[in-house]
Amino acid sequence: MIAAPRFHLSKADRRNLRTAAPFILPWVIGFFAFTLYPIGYSLYLSFQSYSGFGDATPVGLANYQHLASDPLFWKSLYNTLYYTGLAVPIGLVVAIVLALMMNQRVREVAIYRAAVYLPSILPLFALTFIFIVLLNPRFGLVNYLLTLVGVPTINWLGDPKWTKISIVLLAQLGAGGPALIFLAALRAVPSELYESASIDGAGPLRRFRHITIPLITPVILYDLIYGTILGVQIFTPAYILVGGTSGSAAYTAGPDNSLLFYVFYLYKNAFQYSDMGIASAMAWILFVISVLLALAIMRWSRYWVHYEVS
Amino acid sequence: MSLLGRRGWKASLVFVSLVLAACGGGGSSSAPPLTGCNSGTTLATFWTSHTPPDSDSLKHIVDAYNTQSKSTCVKMVQVPGSETDIAKLTTAVRSGTGPDVYMLDRFTVAERAAAGVLTDLSSFGASSLSSNYVSFAWAEANFKGKPYALPFDTDTRALYYRKDLLQAAGVDISALDPSKGPPTIDMIRTMANKVNHKTNGAYDVVGFIPWINQGWHYTWGFAYGGSFFNSSSCKVTPDDPKIVQAFTDMFTNWSKALGVDAVQTFISSYAPPNQPTQQDPFLTGHLGFVITGDWVLGQIATYVPNLNYGVTYIPVPHAGDQPATWAGGWSMVIPKGAKNASGGYDFMKYIAGEPGQRVYTKETQHTPTIKSLQSDSSLFPGGHQFFINQLPAAHSRPPLPVGAFYWDQLSTAQDAAVRNTADPATALAAAASATNAKLQPFCPLA
Repeated sequence: MIAAPRFHLSKADRRNLRTAAPFILPWVIGFFAFTLYPIGYSLYLSFQSYSGFGDATPVGLANYQHLASDPLFWKSLYNTLYYTGLAVPIGLVVAIVLALMMNQRVREVAIYRAAVYLPSILPLFALTFIFIVLLNPRFGLVNYLLTLVGVPTINWLGDPKWTKISIVLLAQLGAGGPALIFLAALRAVPSELYESASIDGAGPLRRFRHITIPLITPVILYDLIYGTILGVQIFTPAYILVGGTSGSAAYTAGPDNSLLFYVFYLYKNAFQYSDMGIASAMAWILFVISVLLALAIMRWSRYWVHYEVS
Repeated sequence: MSLLGRRGWKASLVFVSLVLAACGGGGSSSAPPLTGCNSGTTLATFWTSHTPPDSDSLKHIVDAYNTQSKSTCVKMVQVPGSETDIAKLTTAVRSGTGPDVYMLDRFTVAERAAAGVLTDLSSFGASSLSSNYVSFAWAEANFKGKPYALPFDTDTRALYYRKDLLQAAGVDISALDPSKGPPTIDMIRTMANKVNHKTNGAYDVVGFIPWINQGWHYTWGFAYGGSFFNSSSCKVTPDDPKIVQAFTDMFTNWSKALGVDAVQTFISSYAPPNQPTQQDPFLTGHLGFVITGDWVLGQIATYVPNLNYGVTYIPVPHAGDQPATWAGGWSMVIPKGAKNASGGYDFMKYIAGEPGQRVYTKETQHTPTIKSLQSDSSLFPGGHQFFINQLPAAHSRPPLPVGAFYWDQLSTAQDAAVRNTADPATALAAAASATNAKLQPFCPLA
């Protein structure tokens, strides 16, 4: 057995560390106080009955048992997985296509890049409001264009079959962020590979299929995991669409609760029903689900991710 | 070694002491905390989630209070939130940055008091004010025998109708005159069906959609004589056969008759989420009838002053039935941890008392909860008096510690009935069992 190399610090190293410590301390303290402590505290709360005020009462596994028998919990989980299952692969394809467009050797490419990236820096709040207008079944632009090609009227935000698809479409406006990362990956593909493939007679599609895709698989993996973790936490668009509504529509979270996403239901439990214990239990279940999904993707990735060229 | 020279240290000390003086002192200063306030007053913050035009009126009341108060200066802040969503308040109170006064939907007072968000107002002597308020509003402001809120406004609901649309469709509207008593549901159905109009296969005018606007589960449940809570058994009873019948007639069958998808497409087109008030389908001439409250009188006066409309009772199931409506409204509370609770209470007595409610009634056409104001007919010009007359017989929602949860459960059942995805009896039974499980730990409520 080889002994592990001892962690040796020279005098200068120690002095540097002493100087550095105060500089990184705010972040270390922040991590412990605002990340690690709340995470641990929420685990404790998930076994308590707690309104957020006063004393917490221990209830054992009751919060978890309650969730298991709550049809809305299962509905919110279904809605979230349904959304994630659609949004992540579609988002991946859209991001790659955008990256390919941004990677074209044309003079005005900078303008295209800005145009494609612009929606990603707009607040989701504003985009959602614009989307409500665009998706109006009678007066919206989307249905107008669809009727031109003979598609019947779709009630995007009022029909439970279409509400989640609407949110998937909305999410694509944020594809500029992942597209930038894919653009960097495309730029990192050595050009000599393309040249030699061209000499061997490979067309653009073949080059894309056999050179580009395999070489950007590490970034695809990153995007899948990151997209999945964000996808299961979808909240804002559903909250804006239905959360603050007190007017005409008599839904609680979209038609037939079709926009009752997991984190939205968690939020309702915490801040509308004052049940921090159940909300904390939900948070931990979501954490476990996220970890399992990420592990599954990692395991699956062994079959298709190539790290040969970096 | 030293980063600062001797002179630098001195300068820093002077600076720091200046900053400390600026932050800490001020005890002797008598400058008003805000412009418009009197000198020597202390600051109290007031949060509301209301939006214009109602929040404009609240601001007028705050300004009037600040002009006359010698002790307190109120700063009004508009915050995100809704009837049942108090996330902003909860997190702020938890972190010690909550307001001194918060405007809370009155039917959730019991719920928030049970959760421990609110200050018991007994020590301020709030109980002595009980006789000033109408009894249902005062009951909603109490939890387990202690006052947690001062009632603010109330409201009642009625059936609004567009005379122009109905007459154009050949409907004789004389039967809708309130002097003839409440119309029956069958009568309204016949009239409404004449108004329905489609273009290219889609509705652009619908006579009546019973679940739009204030046509809630509670509205029709009360209209059918249903009871939502049994206080002796401490159980919610949404599965009351009368409520089931109301859901069947007004949601399931009405939706089926109009066409479930067709009517939903109409709603998404003409009443999409977060719609501005002035685009409301009743105000823009796409709905013949609508159930809504007295505050809409103010909206009509603001946005469509020439609207040709009338107001009558909410329709009843059978000719000769007593008309039913329900009253809601808001209240003023002091959250836990308020820094200037006594100043806040002084402001609450003003805004929820006669001076504040008088202004709010005049400007927004809500209904006051102060008894003496309800008998002042000069406050209720035109159609408003009709709503005031309904108040003595108005129902109110049961003030439960799980009120927001119950509301959501009823709404879920209502949505299932409207979409014909579950039969009302099953949906309401599910709402009953889910809500009773949440309610049980709080029982008995008295």
